[in-house]
Amino acid sequence: MTTRTYLIKEGYDNLKKHGSKTFSTMLIICATMLVLGIFIILFQNVNKNVETVRLEQGLQAFIDDTATDDEIEYMQDEIKQIEGVKEVKYIDKDMAYEDAKEAFKDQEYFLEGLDKVDIFPASFVVTFSNIDQSSTIKTAVEKVDGIYKVKYNETTIQAVISVSKIVNIFLLGVGAVLLIVSIFIISNTIKLAVYSNKREIFIMRYIGATNKFIRTPFVIEGTIMGLVSAIISFIVISIAYVLIYARIPKVGSSLGVFGFLPYSTLWYQILIVYVFLGLFIGIFGSAISIKKYLKA
Amino acid sequence: MIEFVNVKKEYNHDVVALDNISLNIGKGEFAFLVGPSGSGKSTFLKLMIKEEEPTSGKILIDGKDIGKLKNKDIPFLRRKIGFVFQDFRLLYDRDVYENISFALRVIECSEREIKTQVKNVLEMVGLSGKEKYYPNQLSGGEQQRVALARALAPKPPIIIADEPTGNLDPITAEEIFKTLLDINARGTTILVVTHAKDIVNTLNRRVIALDHGKIVKDEQKGGY
Repeated sequence: MTTRTYLIKEGYDNLKKHGSKTFSTMLIICATMLVLGIFIILFQNVNKNVETVRLEQGLQAFIDDTATDDEIEYMQDEIKQIEGVKEVKYIDKDMAYEDAKEAFKDQEYFLEGLDKVDIFPASFVVTFSNIDQSSTIKTAVEKVDGIYKVKYNETTIQAVISVSKIVNIFLLGVGAVLLIVSIFIISNTIKLAVYSNKREIFIMRYIGATNKFIRTPFVIEGTIMGLVSAIISFIVISIAYVLIYARIPKVGSSLGVFGFLPYSTLWYQILIVYVFLGLFIGIFGSAISIKKYLKA
Repeated sequence: MIEFVNVKKEYNHDVVALDNISLNIGKGEFAFLVGPSGSGKSTFLKLMIKEEEPTSGKILIDGKDIGKLKNKDIPFLRRKIGFVFQDFRLLYDRDVYENISFALRVIECSEREIKTQVKNVLEMVGLSGKEKYYPNQLSGGEQQRVALARALAPKPPIIIADEPTGNLDPITAEEIFKTLLDINARGTTILVVTHAKDIVNTLNRRVIALDHGKIVKDEQKGGY
């Protein structure tokens, strides 16, 4: 048995020796990780939807009635070339009327007797590839010859942005608290393990064990607890998300705004976060508990 | 091998545990450190393994000034000194073999070295064949022999025994001292802290007596 195998075995034996404590610690860490996972999922879904809303908002540029087809085509090219513009869609007067008819499907009397050509001007719907440039895009579109008005729902976008910021801060805060709680729990368990191995540690120090030698089994113990908890949490949250997702999309799409991300775009993020978190709380939690026993 | 040069140790600036101690214990020597409780014996041992720092003065172990050692080098100093405690300090959930091999794993010996060395030291302390016994299945004297074997296993040039027979009956105590003498005969420097007056007087070895932190007697062939 090499020194490394011996130390790993010691760490594993410690886990077994403190079986019930190990089990309850992992249970609590799993619970914390699951809550954290739910927050990650919410965080990603909120961000994704906010991004979609921000990009889909775009702006609408109304075209002068006097503009000829050639002029309209030229204007469209000009707008397309503005930096940060993703797409420029031309809505002619007929389409605008049809859109209005669709919007007022149940109250068609609103449109009765109206001359479609006079009421609904042709326009461009401009979507953004980069929302941060929305103001400059708006100014640039306004300057295009033949555009007489630009409609841009800035307040909605600003509201969405500030709501998403608040949500993000809240989620990060909760995440940080859960992280601290996990470290505290794991370090408490390791403290007990260290305490019950006090005699070994005392002897090891007198025999001339290096700090690394004394520390390693406990760090291994913490790491195994962290990693196993991470894997269990990952399996549980994956199954839960897939089951819930199977029922959710219809609701999301019918609202037309909010839709859940498919799990294929999320699982690896959750797995990476869980594994790193498991390793971090395991290593950090155990290292801080053993520290005071390592004075020279 | 063990050299104290004007070593002073004070606690809280007013309690003097050791007062300007200078002595030299040579390679292969066998010495007793005696004195009443509170005379400074424990402090002396703690200073040797750098568990405590002297207030002033210099301590040399195997020719090296341990005051200059960095924290990370302390384990390597301790590997030069095998420690035997009054209460044995064995691991009761491990058998004799594991208790001794533990000391060798700490210094990262290979499995083969461990096997050979455990066999050797058990032979030296007269416990061959007891590898699979747990400490609780052994007598006090045998347990102290296991502790002695553990201290010997890494082949340290110095053995310190702190009241090694304090918990043992006189006959067993005598056997332990015989073993210590055998080990000394093989070249290991031995320093024994003890209250076993009769044994000290019988063995007729160097006796260093401490009282109130001062050396009050240092005789090459002394008595208690």
